[in-house]
Amino acid sequence: MALDRIGIVRDVSAALAALGGSITHISQTVMRGYFTLILSVEMHEERTQLEIRQAVERAGAVGELEVNVRPFVEPPSAEPRSVERFTLSLRGADKAGLIACATTYLAAKGISIEDVYAYVRDSRALVLAQVRVPADLDVEDLQTGLQDALSDFEVAAHLQHENIFKATGELEPVLGLQRIKP
Amino acid sequence: MKWVEDILQTVDMLQSEHLDVRAVNMGIDLFDCADRDIERACRLAKEKIIKRAAPLVRACESVSRRYGIPIVNRRVAVSPVADAMAGHGGDDLVRFARSLDEAAEEAGVDFIGGYSALVQKGMTVSDKALIETLPEVLSQTSRVCASVNAASTKAGINVDALLLLGEMWLAAAHKTASADGFACCKLSVFANIPEDNPFMAGAYKGIGEPETVINIGVSGPGVVKRAIERLLQSGRRYDLGSLAEEIKSTAFRVTRCGELIGREVASAVGAQFGIVDLSLAPSPEVGDSVGEIFESMGIARVGGPGTTAALAMLNDAVKKGGAFASSSVGGLSGAFIPLSEDASLARAAEAGHLTLDKLEAMTSVCSVGLDMIALPGDTSAETLAAIAMDELAIGVVNNKTTSVRLIPVPNKRAGERAVFGGLFGECPILAVPNGTSAAFVRMAGRIPAPLVSLNN
Repeated sequence: MALDRIGIVRDVSAALAALGGSITHISQTVMRGYFTLILSVEMHEERTQLEIRQAVERAGAVGELEVNVRPFVEPPSAEPRSVERFTLSLRGADKAGLIACATTYLAAKGISIEDVYAYVRDSRALVLAQVRVPADLDVEDLQTGLQDALSDFEVAAHLQHENIFKATGELEPVLGLQRIKP
Repeated sequence: MKWVEDILQTVDMLQSEHLDVRAVNMGIDLFDCADRDIERACRLAKEKIIKRAAPLVRACESVSRRYGIPIVNRRVAVSPVADAMAGHGGDDLVRFARSLDEAAEEAGVDFIGGYSALVQKGMTVSDKALIETLPEVLSQTSRVCASVNAASTKAGINVDALLLLGEMWLAAAHKTASADGFACCKLSVFANIPEDNPFMAGAYKGIGEPETVINIGVSGPGVVKRAIERLLQSGRRYDLGSLAEEIKSTAFRVTRCGELIGREVASAVGAQFGIVDLSLAPSPEVGDSVGEIFESMGIARVGGPGTTAALAMLNDAVKKGGAFASSSVGGLSGAFIPLSEDASLARAAEAGHLTLDKLEAMTSVCSVGLDMIALPGDTSAETLAAIAMDELAIGVVNNKTTSVRLIPVPNKRAGERAVFGGLFGECPILAVPNGTSAAFVRMAGRIPAPLVSLNN
C-alpha cells in the first residue's frame, strides 16, 4: 500500500522481475488516493520473505511502500455446498456499524463475500458486494431477513442474482446464462 | 463510476420502477383432445391442461423468488377452439368453455385464452357457432378469454364476421350489464393476429407453435419513464434522438431480463421457450402508465398535437431495443394504449384531450389498437362493426397487428364512467357518431386484400 502516484506497478513489477519472479495474478485498486496491490508471484529461485519484501520496498522512496509477503497456500478447493453469485446493495443513511451488521447476518447464513465496494458521500452510504449464496437458501427469505437485521439503519438492502446484471449489461446470449439447463 | 451506476440502475429498475414480467403464458396444443363425444373431449382437455399448467405456477414462483422479479400473471393459451373442436355445435362449445374455465381454476392460472376463431377469409360452421356462443361463454366463465381474427393483410377484412361480432358485443355487454358490460373486456378482435402473443385477451396457441411453449410478456412503462426523466435531469445535452436512444437501451435491458425469466421457466416445466414480448403494457397503478411516459417526454396534454409522433418514436425505440436484445422477440412488442387500464390516458379522455379519433390515429403507429374502449350502451351493432373495420383496416394495409376491445356499456351514455375493476381499470365512456355508416357496413361480404399483400 502507498499514496498513489504514477509508476508504482512498474516499479514493483520490475523489482520482482529482477528477483526472477513471474507474476501470475494481480488485483489493484486506488481508494481515496491510496494505492493497493495484491500480487501472486512464482519465484524461480529460492527467495526468503524478507528478501522479497526488502526488494519491493526499495522500489519506492524510503518508507513509501508498505509491503507484506506471505507464502502461497492453496485454499481448500471444494465448496462444501453449491453456491450462486448475487450482488448485495445497501443504500441509505450512513451510520456506524452498518457494514458490521450486514456482514454479521451474511456470515451467519454461510454467505461469503468475494468483493466489496463502499463509500460515503453527503452522509449517504453505498455498499456493493459480490457474495456467494448457498443454492439451498431461499433468496426472498434472505432478503427479508437482511432487511429486518438492518432495521436500526435507514437503508434499503437488495440481493440480486448475478445473471440479472449479466443479462442487462453484457451481449452474451441469455441462453448461456440459464441456471436451469434445458 | 459507470459500473456502479449500471448496477444501481438495474437494481432500481427491479425494485422501484415496476419492472415485472406481466405474463408467463403456456401454450398447450389441444388438437389431440378432439373427440365427437364432447364429454370425453372436455375430460381430455381438462386433464391435459391441469397436468401441463400446474407445474407452471410452482416454476413461476420459484424463478420469481430467485431473481426478485415479480411475475404478475400466469396464463394458458390453447389451440383455437373453433378448429380443435370443429364439428361441435354451440351447446357443446359452451360446455367445452366451462371445462377450460375449471381447468384454469384448478391449475391456478389467472386466465385461459384460445376460445378463438380465425375467420379472416370466411367462417366455417364451427367458427360461426363459436362466435355466437361468445355472450354466453364470456358472461358465464371467469377466466376464459376469447379472440377472433377477422382480417389479415393476405385475406382482407371479413365484414360478415364483424357484423355478427357487433351483435355479440351488444349481447355479451347486456348479459353483464351490472358490471358495465365486463364480458366484452375478455374479447379481442384482430387483424393479423400473432400466434405467439402472451397477452390477454388475444392469446391463443398458434397452429405452427410447438406442443407446449412458454411465451413471456415483459412490461415496464415505469422503467422507461424513469430512464427518460434521468436523461432530462442529467444535465447532459439531449434531443429527441438521444431520447430515443435512452428508450432503446432501456428496452434492451428489460427484454434481457424477460428472456432470462422466460427461459428459466420453460426449462423448469420442460417446455420449449417461444418468445419474449416486450410491450409497454400499462396498469391502473400510478407509475405504470404509457400516458405518464408521454408526459415525461414533454407532452403536457396526452392526446394533444405531438402525441402520435411521441408514440411512434416510443414504439420504434422499444422494438429496436428488443430486437437487439434477443433473437426471440415476438408477439406484439410495442406500446399498448388500453384506455381503462392506463390511469393517465383515462384522465386525458376525461378531460376531453383524448378522443376516439385520436386514439385511432395513435394505433396506426403502435401496437395494438383500440383497446379497452368504453362506448355508449346504445351504440348499434353496425357502428361497433364499423369501428372495428376502421381499426382492422389500419392493420391490414400497414401489414401489422391491430385489434379492438370494445365495451358498449349498457344503460350508460358518453361522458359517464365505466368501472371494470382490478387491472381492467376504469375510464370515461367515449362519444361516437352512431348509425352513420350502417348502409356501408350492411353491404357485408369481404373487403379484398390490399395490393401490399401481393408480395410473393
